[in-house]
Amino acid sequence: MQYISKALVAGGLVILTGPLCLMGHAQSYVDVEAERAAAQSSAASDTSTSADSGTTAPPDPYSVQPAQSYPATSYGVGSAPAATPMGGTTAPGAAPAAAQGGQNLGNLFYQLQQLQQEVMRLNGKVEEQANELRVLKEQSLQRYVDLDKRISGGAGAAAGSAASASASSGGSGNTTITMPPASSGSGVAEQPGEGEAYRAAYALVRGQQFDSAVQAFQKFLQDYPAGKYAPNAHYWLGELYLVVEPQDLESSRQAFMLLLSEYPGNSKAPDAMYKLGKVYFLKGNREKSREYMDRVISDYGSSNSSAVKLARDFIAENY
Amino acid sequence: MKRLTAFALTLMLMAASLAARAELTIEITQGVDNPTPIAVVPFAWQGAGSSPTDIASVVDGDLNRSGQFAPVGRADMLGLPSTEAEIFYRDWRAINTEYLVIGRVSVAGEMRIEYELFDVLRQTRVHGGVVTGPVNEARMLAHQVSDAVYEKLTGIPGAFATRMLYVSVTRVPGGNDYYRLTLADSDGARPIVLLESREPVLAPSWSPDGRQIAYVSFESSRPAIYRQELATGRREQLTSFKGLNGSPAWSPDGNTMAMVLSKDGSPDIYLMNLASKRLTRITNHYAIDTEPTWMPDGKSLLFTSDRGGRPQIYRYDLRSGNTERVTFEGTYNARARVAQDGRNMVLVHQRDGSFHIALLDLVTNRLHVLTSTQLDESPSIAPNGSMVLYATKYAEQGILAAVSVDGGVKFRLPAREGDVREPAWSPYMRR
Repeated sequence: MQYISKALVAGGLVILTGPLCLMGHAQSYVDVEAERAAAQSSAASDTSTSADSGTTAPPDPYSVQPAQSYPATSYGVGSAPAATPMGGTTAPGAAPAAAQGGQNLGNLFYQLQQLQQEVMRLNGKVEEQANELRVLKEQSLQRYVDLDKRISGGAGAAAGSAASASASSGGSGNTTITMPPASSGSGVAEQPGEGEAYRAAYALVRGQQFDSAVQAFQKFLQDYPAGKYAPNAHYWLGELYLVVEPQDLESSRQAFMLLLSEYPGNSKAPDAMYKLGKVYFLKGNREKSREYMDRVISDYGSSNSSAVKLARDFIAENY
Repeated sequence: MKRLTAFALTLMLMAASLAARAELTIEITQGVDNPTPIAVVPFAWQGAGSSPTDIASVVDGDLNRSGQFAPVGRADMLGLPSTEAEIFYRDWRAINTEYLVIGRVSVAGEMRIEYELFDVLRQTRVHGGVVTGPVNEARMLAHQVSDAVYEKLTGIPGAFATRMLYVSVTRVPGGNDYYRLTLADSDGARPIVLLESREPVLAPSWSPDGRQIAYVSFESSRPAIYRQELATGRREQLTSFKGLNGSPAWSPDGNTMAMVLSKDGSPDIYLMNLASKRLTRITNHYAIDTEPTWMPDGKSLLFTSDRGGRPQIYRYDLRSGNTERVTFEGTYNARARVAQDGRNMVLVHQRDGSFHIALLDLVTNRLHVLTSTQLDESPSIAPNGSMVLYATKYAEQGILAAVSVDGGVKFRLPAREGDVREPAWSPYMRR
């Protein structure tokens, strides 16, 4: 850069009028090559691009290049200097002309330069925002595809209850954990500390820490065997035994069975029944499985439980 | 390392006096975690006297430099077989060698190298071949052996039998610096000075067939673009317009040269038809457009521009005439070069105030910074896309360095004196 500034100082007034000063100004990054070239050329041709103004520039002390007595020599791979030129292009000489613009012209150029800088800056912003928009579009499409996959993968398990959050399990294929709304209305009052314990255990499910969640729900049932959230805990245990490694079908069956026998009127009963059918299917007992699926439809067919649709789909798919 | 230095010393003695000053040595600074042990047994010389070139040591050096192999030292070899019958696999298993390269060299008019590659653990011959060529190209023939061995073992074609251009600057007190445009083998050996000047020489680049080069020279007191035939040294001045004449870049078909000219105002990208010398201006912007490079399919060009306020890489589509921005990460991305696969782009990327060589995957748009040095510039990618040669500063000296495209392998090529910069890795040499 010091070359450039030197050249610019040497250019004096011309600085304000010559387009090269724009170059010099905008040149804060250009590679070594460009810098050198600019230094050389600004000294040599001295902002001569403004030839149209027709006036002559003051003599520039830097425009006279010291003659180089040392000629460049080119060699072939045989390292013998080659004297003959390959072809014959002659470069057009630069017409030595420069502008001596007035103060107004100078101001105009200064403003133009400012505008150009500003447009460049805005241009950069637009480019970046267009790119961000493109990236966001791609991401949102990707998210939609993911969501679509998850919903169809869960066979509409999440469709029924708006409050459900699904988290597909790692180990057991298509199993989808559906969060049942914490059921109330069973007439049992919440015991002190029960809510916190339940939510803490449920948080483990959300965090996909299934083994810890199993222990947390077991502890919960020990502490609050007749608690308000006990049916929920049974339901979750049933679900969790299906997704832990190794899968524990028998414990899962017992948990769902317990929920059905102890709390037949619970809002989670249809889901538990459907799951029970599924557990029997996984255990290889197709008859029992079909029996429970049919019961879901016959017992809760008139309700708007999502388990009914799931059971129908299941039958359609497997029988 | 000791072996390499000895090897480099031998080279220096062999190199022509004109060239000795530009000699580069090699220091490997980082290899892969578990390089494959391989033994390159000295090739048997089937002729009078002793072999003029130690073929095996060239192969050994190539494989070592790739960072993916750990060649076995000759002192550790329990035997020096040159035919399959002479191989005792247990000798090689005993020193934990996985692969074995043996060979035979003879000269009858031209040099003939037969080589064979063996898998020590399976006790089988993996590959064998013959390369022939002029005796004075013995090192290049050895590199061809390296290419074949490397490809057999890694599945990637080798790029050892290639060359590079670089510019070295010898500082002379009093300001009369020497600039030398030098051609050397890809391992830095056999340097040949192609141009010597007291004025700057810049931006060397290769024609796609590797027979010609182009560069910018200030010898006529203003920058001018020249092209030069390697075989004869004959050259032609292509441009000498007022203002910038820079960054010549040959199109993949060899018919067109992209360049930067500022004859019409600010620096813009032009294409010159090399037959008719007709110029076509392809960018027209008051910002600086510079450092053009071609995509391998020849259908578009990449260039650096600060039209967005900061230097970034843009792509110009030759058919549609559209320009689109390519880089978005960071505030400085410049001087792109694209691998032959058209996917990996290397560039100079500024991060935390330092200039690094980075790789941008043009498909995923992920940017990886490859180097940890501070003032890296002028990346040039190997024709097989595996390594990037670049210029950097080390111990106050301008040197060349190389890094693999995954960042795993690094080596330096410091010059014995002076600063070295602007490396340009050749395309595959057509014989």
